[in-house]
Amino acid sequence: MPIDAGTVEKIAALARLELDPAERERLVRELQAILSYVEQLQAVDVTGIEPTSQVTEGDPPPLRADVAGPCDVRDEVLAQAPDRDGDYFRVPKVV
Amino acid sequence: MMRPPDSTRTGAGSRWTLSTASEIADAVREGKASAEEVTRAFLAHADRTSDRLGTWLHRMPEEALRAARAVDLKRTGGARLGALAGVPIAIKDNIAIRGIPTTCGSKILEGYRPPYDAHVIERLREADAIVVGKTNCDEFAMGSSTENSAYHPTRNPWDPSRVPGGSSGGSAAAVAAREAPLALGSDTGGSVRQPAAFCGVYGLKPTYGAVSRYGLVAFASSLDQIGPFARTARDTALAYNAIAGPDARDMTSRAEAKPVDLAALDRGLQGLTFGVPRELLEGDGLAPEIRSCFDATAEAFRAHGARLVDVSLPNAKYSIATYYLIAPAEASSNLARYDGVRFGLRAPAKDLREMYEKTRRQGFGREVRRRILLGTYALSAGYYDAYYLRAQKVRTLIRADFMKALGAADALLLPVTPTTAFGIGEKVEDPLAMYLNDIFSIPASLAGVPALSFPAGFGPTGLPIGLQLVGRPFAEETLLRAARAHEGWNDASKKAPPIATEAAA
Repeated sequence: MPIDAGTVEKIAALARLELDPAERERLVRELQAILSYVEQLQAVDVTGIEPTSQVTEGDPPPLRADVAGPCDVRDEVLAQAPDRDGDYFRVPKVV
Repeated sequence: MMRPPDSTRTGAGSRWTLSTASEIADAVREGKASAEEVTRAFLAHADRTSDRLGTWLHRMPEEALRAARAVDLKRTGGARLGALAGVPIAIKDNIAIRGIPTTCGSKILEGYRPPYDAHVIERLREADAIVVGKTNCDEFAMGSSTENSAYHPTRNPWDPSRVPGGSSGGSAAAVAAREAPLALGSDTGGSVRQPAAFCGVYGLKPTYGAVSRYGLVAFASSLDQIGPFARTARDTALAYNAIAGPDARDMTSRAEAKPVDLAALDRGLQGLTFGVPRELLEGDGLAPEIRSCFDATAEAFRAHGARLVDVSLPNAKYSIATYYLIAPAEASSNLARYDGVRFGLRAPAKDLREMYEKTRRQGFGREVRRRILLGTYALSAGYYDAYYLRAQKVRTLIRADFMKALGAADALLLPVTPTTAFGIGEKVEDPLAMYLNDIFSIPASLAGVPALSFPAGFGPTGLPIGLQLVGRPFAEETLLRAARAHEGWNDASKKAPPIATEAAA
């Protein structure tokens, strides 16, 4: 499946990544090379094969009791804010 | 503050920096050494070597000495010390330590200090280990050379013009250069095993589920696993035992992950069968020195009582294509959280959307941007079935190959890398060429089975060669037992690069 500048632009918008024109052109070439390589999977017969989303043998640890535990890191977390207003994270205009 | 005597000048420094973790822990537990003097020796050695190697992103001398003194006080107070008593350990910079910078080698996390400790950090402290710093890595663990760190590259202690491998290159280089006897890394497609092979040390990727990822910054969640680096099989087991086991905060963690029985490591190869996946070895690009090391090692396994059988992994050749769809797809989802709102970098912008786009453009490096876009494409409407879902089905076939082969053999023997360490800058402009080097490490990641890289020899120019043992789920003990036996007749793990042994100036 050929990939072009428009496709790269579209997926960059989905991924919320700004691209400059030079990088967009380079990514067309690089992604095309990678996608041509992975094309070999189309030749594998996967009829009736279940997908593996994760490989875990054995039983998961027991669920903890559904009770609130202490979480005293609010100040540490808020101190990391690039911009804040009191106890709120502040962001630029949304709409 | 009173300055203690400079232990390096007396020669005591090299005594500890050349010791194994087991020797250090025994000496500290028995009161023959203090955790503080051991820690000082490693800190002083790293003072001399680490700038040349670029091993660390953040060193923690004060915290390390404070922790060491606490361990010493615990002992003099009569308490029994843990299995890693006084043993310095280096931590890959994608593992959270409360209050300590954790960047994942990325500008987007510059200045970030996690408000909590990873599960493995809690466990290491319970074992009385001494965390000495955060090691360099490829940004968000994406890479095979540590050249994708946004801060600086790391150099191979055996040859500073070459890469240490990646993505856990700083951790591997730290152990090889004796800046720490142990380190932790993370392995998603080979990021512990490949740098271990390039740097001539042990590197274990545990079974998926053996070690809790609570506090490991997520890259590809169906593959990520934390694993140790060490210089002996026994030390690798000690570090694995300290971190393995279930944790209620990671629902993929498993109680089946039992500690390795250290006494069982000395049982030798008698009664063990090793599978050799012939068709993987016949592929292009396996360097002659790796092939001859492999053949010699397989023959030595046989000579020391092991049985060797040929096994087939017919779908392993699809591993790279499968991995480079699944891992970027999961990464594109996991890395969506870096939006400039709550922590890390934020680019100035006129509205929220522009803030997201500019922050992510400025904060992520080229390889990370490439993988986010590849993953977004593989997951996007119209391509999901053809790419992501198909890759997950091929993954089922690859895993089935492994389970069948591991029915006929206790473990598989294969290379880790097709070549020894390549030059800095050599592959950085060709991402696909970089990916193709992962052919021997990715299959075990997709299958979720444990795999150990062990030092097996050296190439004609003196660069280390590592080989790999791949085992049944939760059979880490078998891999370490085989590596321990190999250590008995092969001295590759005992050699040190010159920088590791150079005397104090």
